[in-house]
Amino acid sequence: MKRFNKTITAVFAAAAMAGVLAGCGSSESAETTTAPATTVAEASETAADTGIQPTEVTFWHSMTGQQETTLQELTDQFNAENEYGITVTILNQGGYDDLRTKLTANAAADTLPDLAQTYPSWLIPFLDKVVPLDDMVANDFDDYEDILENYREENSQFGFISGLPFNKSTYVYFYNKTMFDELGLEAPETWDDLIHIGEVFKAEKDMVSLGADDMAGFLEAAIRQNGGEFVSEEGALFDNEIGQEAFDYIMNMYNNGYARLVGEDGYFSGPLSNQLIPAYIGSSTGVSFITHEDWELGVASLPGHKQDAANTAGTNIVMFSKDANQKKATWEYMKFLTSAEATTKWAIDTGYLPIRTSAYESEEYQTFMENDPTARAAYGQSEAFFSSPAFDGSADVTSEVNATLEEVILNKEDSTEALKAVVEAVNDAL
Amino acid sequence: MKKLFGHYRLRDFKGYLYLMPALIILLVFTAYPLFKAFLMSFQEDYSIINGSYDGINLENYRELFEDDDFLKALTNTSIYVVFVVPISIVLSLMVAVLINNCGKRSKGIFQTLYFLPYVTSVIAIGIVWSWIFNSNYGLLNYFLSFFGIDPIPWLNEPDYALPALIIFSIWKSMAFNILIFLSGLSMISQDIYQAARIDSTPRLRVFFRITVPQLKPIIVYAFMMGFINAFKVYNEVFSLFQGKAGPADSAITVVYYIYDKFYNSADYGVASSAAVVLFIIIMVLTMIQRYVTRDKEA
Repeated sequence: MKRFNKTITAVFAAAAMAGVLAGCGSSESAETTTAPATTVAEASETAADTGIQPTEVTFWHSMTGQQETTLQELTDQFNAENEYGITVTILNQGGYDDLRTKLTANAAADTLPDLAQTYPSWLIPFLDKVVPLDDMVANDFDDYEDILENYREENSQFGFISGLPFNKSTYVYFYNKTMFDELGLEAPETWDDLIHIGEVFKAEKDMVSLGADDMAGFLEAAIRQNGGEFVSEEGALFDNEIGQEAFDYIMNMYNNGYARLVGEDGYFSGPLSNQLIPAYIGSSTGVSFITHEDWELGVASLPGHKQDAANTAGTNIVMFSKDANQKKATWEYMKFLTSAEATTKWAIDTGYLPIRTSAYESEEYQTFMENDPTARAAYGQSEAFFSSPAFDGSADVTSEVNATLEEVILNKEDSTEALKAVVEAVNDAL
Repeated sequence: MKKLFGHYRLRDFKGYLYLMPALIILLVFTAYPLFKAFLMSFQEDYSIINGSYDGINLENYRELFEDDDFLKALTNTSIYVVFVVPISIVLSLMVAVLINNCGKRSKGIFQTLYFLPYVTSVIAIGIVWSWIFNSNYGLLNYFLSFFGIDPIPWLNEPDYALPALIIFSIWKSMAFNILIFLSGLSMISQDIYQAARIDSTPRLRVFFRITVPQLKPIIVYAFMMGFINAFKVYNEVFSLFQGKAGPADSAITVVYYIYDKFYNSADYGVASSAAVVLFIIIMVLTMIQRYVTRDKEA
């Protein structure tokens, strides 16, 4: 018993010491922020040298298969190479829904991990638990402007930098090039092209020629492609002529049998693989679920209208660490994962997109893109990336839009009625 | 006297000590959440993160009953219960009687076969059934085609989504019912049947005059458990429609609604009030059922 007490005392003493040291570190780095700009980088480096005690960092994620393997490789590399004795443990929490549920529950219990993959909308109930990264980005980050503008906007929509982009994808147009060639069709570039393809497939092969895995995303992209805006905290922003034109186009596609809902198939990668549908719009990561042994797969950027607009998807990494030392250690890992080198490896191994312009332009990634049509299509529309805004009720809006769109399509409503129903659903949800 | 008193107290204390683990678990995981859900249902805009709320009132209930989705969930659940429970019990009773009349060895085989759905994961069964219901490759449409029925888009059209869910659930809930009916049948004294045989009573009459009355307590129990479980349907929806509530949310149920409001919308108050409404419905129905089926002689 006595020995046990001694051990306890020792542990507490060590913890207290660590706390004191960490305290020193943070005050030091606070001083350096006021130092002249020319010495900031150097000063913060020395602060980092003395400021981080060996510690363990936990990272909750939803990556599986190859994604998880690569994440583990990168993490092993960080654990072996970092000079502070930081050990990062990655913990798979199941799918995105499981991850979100666990994060919410752990936010309530105040037991969040240091770092987690999240979509911005998940953070709304516990935004005050998110560590703002503004100071760290300003003082200790390699060329923030190098990160794609859309990702930076997505991560500063709450008025502070809430995270860094991590596993990013975009929606692209997958098509059966063999079938298209046979009918003398090219990959579509505009809405009119899509309608034309729809007419040809219906007449020649009696086939529905388009599907969208994510209906709400499909609608949002159409409204933005028509120069409009989708929703805000106040309600629907498409109850106007721009929105009506988008609905005319969508309802035309569905009511005339040029497009269909995914229904029991869940995702269109299955019907495309089995040549039951010649094309669909879905996440670029979906390519790993498409099998095309006896036909050639084509991938194109999303067809636009008045302008181009392409949905982005995928999560950001967000910090919840509490004490100063934990924050610094987690930040080291975040810097590592978002470095040009790591994001390039990540993108090439997993099919997610690089988050930095310099990574896109690197020789390594350029070579990779030459043989990867999905990456080319994604890169081709990177100027047109947008992400759906997150606000209190945005998750409700998405699910209501999905359900209502399905309903008006199944009922073959005309496009004026369809617009009215969806606008009403959005405004009721808020 | 004093000694005796002390003796009893010690025994009481020991008894409670034995009960303690179960009691603690019951308090923490059943009583407390129940109480908390009641409380949350009256707290406007309750946040589970920091425990803040705007006031104690009936706002959540007003919002709940103005929500079309909840009314749809309530209607769907009621239809589901009305179809699944009685049909499942009638079919189970028939199957149980048939199995009971089998020889010893085949009885064991059938018992195992019919009990399999109960021990298999609902998610796995749901995936299998979503293929049975598939409009292009599904077994069900294949069989229906023998009768000249065109392929039915079971999982794609709102009109068929709820019937598909009901068919799936009847099949699934039969396993448990068959098991308890079989155990009930084995308890009926063979003397009664022998007496009936001597009188050469017709089989149907034996079934309705002997088997059913003898099984009454078991049937009542099956009905009660069936009702309670059917009102709580969620897994079946989730697994059959791949995590959704059917096309255009046409097969949404009350528990699905509660889960969606809690985790997807972070509307903790509304989710709790829906849970309370469900609790009251189940409680009232159970009470009515007990009253109607009470043993009049007792």
